Amino acid sequence: MPFFRHKSFINVRMLLRVIGWLLLILALFMIAPCVTGLIYGEHSTFGFLACMGVTAGCGMCMVSLRPKSREMGKREAILLTALTWVILSLFGMLPFLVCGTHLSVTDAFFETMSGFTTTGATVLNSLSDVPHSILLWRCVVQWIGGLGIILFTLAVVPMLNYQGGMQLFNAEVTGITHDKLRPRVSYTAQGLWLVYICLTTLLVVLLSFSEMDFFDAVCYGLSTMSTGGFSNSDMPVVEMDNLYIKTLLLVFMFLGGVNFALLYKTVRGDGKSVLKNDALKWYVGIILVCYLLLTLNVVMRGLVRDASDVTIDPLFQAVSILSSTGLTEPDFSDWGPVAVIVLIVMMVMGACAGSTSGGAKIDRFIILFKFLKNEFFKMMHPSAVTTVCINGKGTPNTIVMKTLAFLFLYIIVIMAGGTILVLDGMPLKDSFFVCLSSISNTGLGTDITGLGGNYAMVPGFCKWVLSFIMLVGRLELYTVLLIFVPSFWKK
Amino acid sequence: MKIVIAGAGEVGTHLAKMLSNEDQDIILIDSDQSRLDVIDSNYNLMTWNGSTSSFESMRDVGIANTDLFIAVTPYETRNITSCCIAKNLGAKKTVARIDNNEFLIPENGEILKKMGADFLIYPEDIAADQIALALAHNWARYWGELHNGKLLMIGVKCHQDSPLLDHKLKDLPVTGHDFHVLAIKRNNETIIPGGNDEIRRDDIVYFITTPPYIQEVRDLCNKRKRVIKKALIMGGSRIAMRFASQYHDKFHIKIIDNNRENCENMATALPDCEIVCGDGRDIEVLRENNIYQYDAFLALTDYSETNILSCLTAKEFGVPKTVADVENLQFVSQAENLNIGTIINKKLLASSHIFKILLDADEGNAKCLALADAEVAELAVKEGAKITKAPVKDLHLPFGMTLAAVVRDEECSLVSGMTHIQGGDYVVVVCLTGTISKIEKWFN
Repeated sequence: MPFFRHKSFINVRMLLRVIGWLLLILALFMIAPCVTGLIYGEHSTFGFLACMGVTAGCGMCMVSLRPKSREMGKREAILLTALTWVILSLFGMLPFLVCGTHLSVTDAFFETMSGFTTTGATVLNSLSDVPHSILLWRCVVQWIGGLGIILFTLAVVPMLNYQGGMQLFNAEVTGITHDKLRPRVSYTAQGLWLVYICLTTLLVVLLSFSEMDFFDAVCYGLSTMSTGGFSNSDMPVVEMDNLYIKTLLLVFMFLGGVNFALLYKTVRGDGKSVLKNDALKWYVGIILVCYLLLTLNVVMRGLVRDASDVTIDPLFQAVSILSSTGLTEPDFSDWGPVAVIVLIVMMVMGACAGSTSGGAKIDRFIILFKFLKNEFFKMMHPSAVTTVCINGKGTPNTIVMKTLAFLFLYIIVIMAGGTILVLDGMPLKDSFFVCLSSISNTGLGTDITGLGGNYAMVPGFCKWVLSFIMLVGRLELYTVLLIFVPSFWKK
Repeated sequence: MKIVIAGAGEVGTHLAKMLSNEDQDIILIDSDQSRLDVIDSNYNLMTWNGSTSSFESMRDVGIANTDLFIAVTPYETRNITSCCIAKNLGAKKTVARIDNNEFLIPENGEILKKMGADFLIYPEDIAADQIALALAHNWARYWGELHNGKLLMIGVKCHQDSPLLDHKLKDLPVTGHDFHVLAIKRNNETIIPGGNDEIRRDDIVYFITTPPYIQEVRDLCNKRKRVIKKALIMGGSRIAMRFASQYHDKFHIKIIDNNRENCENMATALPDCEIVCGDGRDIEVLRENNIYQYDAFLALTDYSETNILSCLTAKEFGVPKTVADVENLQFVSQAENLNIGTIINKKLLASSHIFKILLDADEGNAKCLALADAEVAELAVKEGAKITKAPVKDLHLPFGMTLAAVVRDEECSLVSGMTHIQGGDYVVVVCLTGTISKIEKWFN
């Protein structure tokens, strides 16, 4: 009887098997840098081939396990999702170790985790010496992480198209509630990835029409669409002087911050839901307000040299931070503390849920602001019955509670993370800024707060802490933190 | 296949879960978000919060390219309205749940069909028929008919005096090849037996046979045929009402219910049944109503626990046949292990009925969800399929499945080792739940 079938506490074999599939997919993605290495005649090709062999080998071994049952409950789904991101980062960092970038394990892991979580914080100092294959690999890693590797697996591995897959979908996709596009989870995943792939391809094609060479176009395409923000040169923004490129990146960063389910619906001709969508309205609104604030700031500080300083530059900066891409203007360090404050607010907000961006997501803030408004109203009219109205529909109170709990936890993680960094000897201001930048997956460099340089300066232990915080931020807290709660392991 | 189910009640959710596990695209609509939440986050299907009979929500779920629309809210008029809207917006087939006998009359059905409700299901009616079937063949636990009764599936509990016990199936004391043992249910486990398995005491054994050999199966199980004349019903539920109004001329029926108003209504509606107002859980009441004299005790209240326990009490009183309505799915298997004759579950009956409608739309493959974790399916054999290559004994079929019977040109026969299956046949297959897709490979 299905009701009485003995269910193992954790279905380890099934877990390993799914991770095996994920590793195989990762190995498949390694082909791209391999080919790049061949084209540029770099030695790293062999390193990549070796990494691919190891990853695929381990994947094969794990896939060949025969689980007793395919059953996966919530516990397995959460464990699997968190483990997957860690294990994939472990395998994903192999190329950094063997392909001539001379990174330590700590740095390599940090770089990979930063890639997968689309944070885009880098420890690589002189990018001009780094082989092309590695540059591409960083961007590919970001691109996979952008929409989520598990989501990709759901789309391509039919084995997961059942209940267990649904649990995985819930554990990985961002947002308070999860829009399903189609009845079956694999179709939903396919729909989302299709949008993602189409947009990326479009961006790459458009970028390659500019003076960028094709390789750079691909890299920027991958890292912009995933709102990651890895770049190919030490001074990325130099290339950004080109208005065409800048506009393109701006538009696609913006799109990367929009709910992909909404994009999918728009493509399918459902324009109605776009107009009704509150998160999108707020997203645009916040960008405009921040743009005005930044422009005002630039004008007040007398930094205006030409028209672009008050038009595209502040706008670019606003979108880049809100969508958690984390690219900065070349002269941002001159913009002063007001700009940094605006930045911090935007980092915490993040873009729409269900996008590739990070942060706590606008959707949650909308709920809380409306809830707050209701609370104020209730103080005057105690017997009023109010509801938080999102997209023209009332939201149940449980969702508001969940959002409150989420934000509380968000603050706890930032405080705890920042404190640990301070204890390890980092300056106070930088600790909290870097921590915030990691949890919101923005990856703004430490140069903004004056520590200077990139994340290579951060002490080793802090890098592990930050890697962990990035993962916590990407999987929206609960999926990772639940594993550390004792009741999760109680039978 | 895209299926939209309106109404996340018990039948609706059960259907949605079941069909989702069968790899169908399911969208479940209900106006109550809290009902949808649990199922949405745990099952591979989509839910939609909206009215089940509004044009807007129908369009939103994409009713135009839906293959099957099933309306199973508790209100029949709303179901029919929903079907009407769905059909006119482009749904290919529609099913409405009803609770009014009038709609089942063929000429009335025509009108409903014109309105857009292609199929009607009446769970209480199906349940009443199932009870009648169980009473007519009261020596069996389960009685299922395929192909208008040309093939019979019979489930029997083997007591200690049956000559079948403790023999391996290959050495059963029988001549000829007149029946197959499809499945054995022991404790909570269903076994698809091979020649080396044996039947033990208190197993429920499922046979398939053809009508001329019913007698032989019954003798083997050491069961006697008994004609049931008098039935005592506890609980004036809708099933009870339906059963009484449908079969009051076949049986002498007495209904015990503890709600006076309900009793008065029943007395008006069912003039030739005896109605008693009293608590059926009270042994004194049962004794007063001469429970010893009844051939059958039907416990049909809305409470599964009460039904199960009352049936056990009735057995103590020596009532030969008891039937319990068990609506909690968890209890069904528990109840089957107890000494209760037949278990009725409206949800399972209704959903298997809808399943048949669904599969009929899907090229002749039919399935009756008779057993708890085994499935009985009727599969159409395609020309040139793997299974047609050799006689059954040379095929090396996988374990865990039994080819039970073959239907060729409306003639049914049991499968033996020598049978050579041909394209165009229908084969009745028994297998464990979830393995059917592996088996389908042999037939395509």
